[in-house]
Amino acid sequence: MAVTKREKRLGNTYLRELGGSLAVYAVLLVAAIRFGRPMEEGVLRTIFLLSPMVGFCLGLWAIARHVNRMDEYMRRILLESVALGAALTAGLTFTYGFLETAGYPKLSMFAVWMVLCGSTGVVTMIRTLRQR
Amino acid sequence: MKNRIRELRAEHGWSQADLAEKLDVSRQSVNAIETGRYDPSLPLAFAISRLFGLPVEAIFTPDQETA
Repeated sequence: MAVTKREKRLGNTYLRELGGSLAVYAVLLVAAIRFGRPMEEGVLRTIFLLSPMVGFCLGLWAIARHVNRMDEYMRRILLESVALGAALTAGLTFTYGFLETAGYPKLSMFAVWMVLCGSTGVVTMIRTLRQR
Repeated sequence: MKNRIRELRAEHGWSQADLAEKLDVSRQSVNAIETGRYDPSLPLAFAISRLFGLPVEAIFTPDQETA
């Protein structure tokens, strides 16, 4: 499939911005683990341990900028995929809730985030393949 | 909504990627519009009309005339 100069430019900009924010997140995460954890409890320690969220917020900003640069059709496809991914996640997590009642191990709520990412990815992939 | 974009693009000898560059949209958008899977917004429809030098109604026609 041909990639236009525009798509290449947008893709590179997104990768650069998201990559930069992930790098900031990684550096702050290492610093928080290395220096924040051994600190005495207090406001400073809390701030230190929360500092990786600066990188996370930069990542959100990069995603928002990317969505803003997309054309109207691609933005619609993305938003529909996220909506369907969220619906799929709701179905999967509800199902697992019943399974927990049946004795399956309790999972952390953090797992929902990963299921959402996976579901959105699967929905996007299926839609892309169907449009070829 | 039906449209004549594929035909007009062929007349100009442009690929979908060429048209996408000229309209500043993705190639997938051009493909979706050409195949009738997506109806463009008014600003994009006017940009297409300007590019081909034709009025919007000469490029896009509704599937059924509404009252």
